[in-house]
Amino acid sequence: MPRPGPAGSGRCARSRMPRQPLSPCVAGERLCSTEEATAGSGTYTRHGFIFSSLAGCLERKNEDNELPVVSVVRDSESQLLPNVGAVVTCKVCSINSRFAKVHILYVGSTPLKSTFRGTIRREDIRATEKDKVEVYKSFRPSDIVLAKVISLGDAQSNYLLSTAENELGVVVARSEAGVQMVPISWCEMQCPRTHTKEFRKVARVQPQFLQT
Amino acid sequence: AGGGAYWVDSQQKRYVPVKGDHVIGIVTAKAGDVFRLDVGGSEPASLSYLAFEGATKRNRPNVQVGDLIYGQFVVANKDMEPEMVCIDSSGKSSGMGIIGQDGFLFKVSLGLIRKLLAPKCEIIQELSQLYPFELVLGMNGRIWVKAKTVQQTLIIVNILEACEYMTAEQRKQALAKLSGN
Repeated sequence: MPRPGPAGSGRCARSRMPRQPLSPCVAGERLCSTEEATAGSGTYTRHGFIFSSLAGCLERKNEDNELPVVSVVRDSESQLLPNVGAVVTCKVCSINSRFAKVHILYVGSTPLKSTFRGTIRREDIRATEKDKVEVYKSFRPSDIVLAKVISLGDAQSNYLLSTAENELGVVVARSEAGVQMVPISWCEMQCPRTHTKEFRKVARVQPQFLQT
Repeated sequence: AGGGAYWVDSQQKRYVPVKGDHVIGIVTAKAGDVFRLDVGGSEPASLSYLAFEGATKRNRPNVQVGDLIYGQFVVANKDMEPEMVCIDSSGKSSGMGIIGQDGFLFKVSLGLIRKLLAPKCEIIQELSQLYPFELVLGMNGRIWVKAKTVQQTLIIVNILEACEYMTAEQRKQALAKLSGN
């Protein structure tokens, strides 16, 4: 069975037999025509054909009513990217009077292999009284925060996150003494050793997620 | 009168910004609406151009790079860069703002500043009997002095620097010699 030539070579575009699942392919390789299958992740369509955009393994999933879905995966587990509306767990790395910069560690409950960077703007920290918010009284560096993705950002900018809900905010924080603090209200946490209270925007974690 | 405060006084030269402290800063850069000031801490402080008495968006203060500013900290903690203003909580300048032309700026240890700022400081009283002069003390260890002539200014600068290590007796002798001349 002759392999199809590169697009625009002049040969007639003959559709070929579908390949076995999990066979390797390179970026730019033409996989099949759009009449045979639908493009999945890791592929793109051009001139009525599906091409691979990654170097990885070809996968075919058969759907019942529609065409099978052709996708290319790079690793055995697909990289989970935070989508808009996903709840992520992140660690605050620096704060500013206008925003807080965070490293995104988990998306939902799956850990990420490489951390993404996110930004929580001052007006996205709380839902009410947004102008009276002080970033220093909501987050501190090295706090663990539950946030929701509100935008993917451009190429250079980070993910935009928001904690403007009761269930979002600081879950784990250390006091100035270095001891993990206990939340006492939605805006305060207390150190069990020195009994000093510090301001944070505390998350109201659902009871089923608490481990006692 | 009020609740007492305890503090431990120690010899220190490196200044750490504290909220509410009045300091002398040197303008190093203008970045949009904000001036960057060197206050002798680990980070430059930021000062908004609206934080002066009577400043509006149309009426900007005339601040150039290299000017001296006397202001106080509103935000000063170890996690963020410090922020300064030149007005107090009611919006009045109360002595803060751009320090005028001429004069002499020098650095001393923080302990000496605290001694000079104590009420009824003898050093200041004795010096004011010598010559009239203007004096600005910054908690970051910086002192600005201006007297009528350059020579008088420099004499005051040298006395203040030497006060660090002089006893009261030596100081009185030095001042007596100077007023005798």
